[in-house]
Amino acid sequence: MPRPPALRTLLAVALVAAAGIALGQDFANVPATEPSITDWMLDPVTPIAHEVRSYTLFLVAMTLPYLLLPQVLLLYCIFKFGKKPGMRPATFHENVRLEVVWTIVPALTLVLLAIPAYGLIKKIENMPEADVNIQVIGHQFYWEYRYPDYNDIRISEEPLVIPVNKTVVADMTSVDVNHAWWVPAFGIKMDTVPGRTTQVWFNVEREGWFKGQCAELCGTLHSKMLIDVHVVSQEEFDAWIAKKQAEFAPADEAEETAPEPSAGDADEGAVAQEQSAS
Amino acid sequence: MSIMLDKPKDQKTAEAPRGVPRFPDEPVKPVKTPNVFLNILGSTDHKVLGILYLILSLVMGVVGGALAGGIRAQLAAHNLEVLSPELFNQFITMHGSIMIFFVIIPALAGFGNYLVPIMIGARDMAFPRLNAFSFWILIPSGVLMFTSFMVQGGAAAAGWTAYPPLSLKEFSGGPGVDMWILGVHLAGISSITGAINFIVTILNMRAPGMNIMKMPLFCWTWLVNAWLILIGTPVLAGAVTMVLMDRAFGTNFFKPGMGGDPVLYQHLFWFYSHPAVYIMVLPGFGMISHVLASFSHKRIFGYTGMVWAVSAIGVLGFLVWGHHMFTAGISPELRLYFSFATMVIAVPTGVKIWSWLATIWGGTIEFRTPMKFALGFLSLFVIGGISGVFLANVPFDIQVHDSYFVVAHFHYVLVGGSVMSLFAGAYFWFPKMSGRVLSEKLGNVVFWLFFIGMNTTFLPLHLVGLQGMARRIWQYRPEFETVNGIASLGYLFMAAAGALFIYSIFEALRRPRDCGADPWKINDVQESLVWDIPSPPPAYNFARIPVIK
Repeated sequence: MPRPPALRTLLAVALVAAAGIALGQDFANVPATEPSITDWMLDPVTPIAHEVRSYTLFLVAMTLPYLLLPQVLLLYCIFKFGKKPGMRPATFHENVRLEVVWTIVPALTLVLLAIPAYGLIKKIENMPEADVNIQVIGHQFYWEYRYPDYNDIRISEEPLVIPVNKTVVADMTSVDVNHAWWVPAFGIKMDTVPGRTTQVWFNVEREGWFKGQCAELCGTLHSKMLIDVHVVSQEEFDAWIAKKQAEFAPADEAEETAPEPSAGDADEGAVAQEQSAS
Repeated sequence: MSIMLDKPKDQKTAEAPRGVPRFPDEPVKPVKTPNVFLNILGSTDHKVLGILYLILSLVMGVVGGALAGGIRAQLAAHNLEVLSPELFNQFITMHGSIMIFFVIIPALAGFGNYLVPIMIGARDMAFPRLNAFSFWILIPSGVLMFTSFMVQGGAAAAGWTAYPPLSLKEFSGGPGVDMWILGVHLAGISSITGAINFIVTILNMRAPGMNIMKMPLFCWTWLVNAWLILIGTPVLAGAVTMVLMDRAFGTNFFKPGMGGDPVLYQHLFWFYSHPAVYIMVLPGFGMISHVLASFSHKRIFGYTGMVWAVSAIGVLGFLVWGHHMFTAGISPELRLYFSFATMVIAVPTGVKIWSWLATIWGGTIEFRTPMKFALGFLSLFVIGGISGVFLANVPFDIQVHDSYFVVAHFHYVLVGGSVMSLFAGAYFWFPKMSGRVLSEKLGNVVFWLFFIGMNTTFLPLHLVGLQGMARRIWQYRPEFETVNGIASLGYLFMAAAGALFIYSIFEALRRPRDCGADPWKINDVQESLVWDIPSPPPAYNFARIPVIK
């Protein structure tokens, strides 16, 4: 009884495909202007995110044949070679030429995938000249940001504010456990590791709000360790900095606000040392 | 009892001509104990132990599946509080640990124990008592892991990866992590001793005439698998021991404030845990090869290529652990190397996919339940493989690392790959083990429930991962709700499939043992020792050690 199972397979595949398309619609309907976590594929906002997006589309195009061909061949086999009375199975069990082809061709495809990846990795890795330096410090369970260029302003549990069209280089570390700083629209993610400094850079081309969240399991409230980034014009940024400096300076003398790291002063000392060394 | 059987030296000294038994007809009698329970408890028969492994795997599968149910219930909508955040983290940790160490690995060990000696024409494993030890030590291991839910502070909640510093005393105070580590130790001892047993058995106990390149593919996959376990597991044991020392004895291997390095743990952990991915799927490859060839009534296509592909996957599996650490701050050179090395694995994996397709090509396919699972495996494993190639690429991986895309990817590999192959193997060899064929009617329902449920759960999760949903989160942003609702719905299908599968086992066990030696009519097409001997086989398997021509 080859027919019914084959038909059912087709039905199932169609159902899954329909579900996929429906979901795709849902994905596409998110308005691009809303501040949304979903933006990186539809609306990337940094040079890196643009390139990651193009590279992803390239990956899809290059691997699609390898995704579809086996499925098509599988369906073909299911329909074509179902057992029928009088049919005899083929007896071949080797074909060196075929085997060489299906080893070499995918290998060459992978080389093609690797070439553009190489350049893009270099671009992600090489820190450009920074317009604004920031420090990102992970805590259980909030983010602290510091602006070493501006009297070392420190903010915690509030949105990161950065100027638009400026290259921001972020030094990252953590005072307790591993966290990961991830804003999908920026096309970057980096673990913040206690005792180490990691670096990322981004240059956001549009003002607005961008969301992200901690992407490395860091304990009970990991899911509440959200990231909000407010990208503003240079003037707004300057005004914000001035306001923060005014707030920050007296507070610094009185040593009352500016939440200090909750744990591991020794860790932090090591971090600071390493940062100054690098 | 197996000492006198089959030592290679005997082959040389035995001067009997081909076909004449080298041993007296007298079969080796199993040790008789009066009590059935004691008989099982004290058994060193590879078949009894194999079935015990499979029962353990099934029971733990229910536990791990129930934990998954808790996770999917919590994530059905964005702001539920079905579980507390503490309990949620314990659930994800234990779901992963149990599914890996007590479901997939023991199930493959169970099939290996049962089938490898028969397939190579031996009467038992090389070290039957060690074999019993390998199984029974899993029981205290499972008890340790599971009872940790009842201790103060609950079970381990640092993820199955247990990255320090989160898994250190300062951040995970209760004894949960200690019990988890000791559980991993015991499970590791079980794996290592089992692996030694498999290697020795396969290399030394093949029936006369069974050249290693004539050996069934399932044995080949287990041979490679055993090497992976033997090389990898001690490193995992070392890594978690260092965590244990940091927790209990004041050492500073991974404490950053004291000169330790948390990233070192990640290297050690993934040196085992990446090969573990192959440990969890290679014997499944072997089982799929047998099922596909049997129900297409053809020989496996490209046997030699398959052997080389499995061996290549085994070697390459040890060279790519760093792709789990692309965002951990490793150096650019390492990122490039691990990225390209990982992509290379796609080549031998592809060889297997194409060879399987060529195996069914031109056959006369019978759509029995094992074959349905095997065909479903092919379809799903390709999807998991392609998303794996995506993840190998650093720029893309940085974006989706630790997101639900990764969750979707590895569930396609582990559920669509390993679990589907386990279902295929269970339906295929259940008649041999029990003398009864599992209900074809129920099997059809189990397959479709599981296949549809699996895709409904995990296909949409690719999407939320791409959109930016991090994994291991207790609550999430509202925009991910639709997709997560669908995924939770899919869980119900998979749970129903599991329940029906267990029911169909009990249903079959009520029937008489009448399926005969070869219920699938496999020996009409190919020669197979497994289907030559009665179902279930006698304790000694073969009255005479077969001679392979």
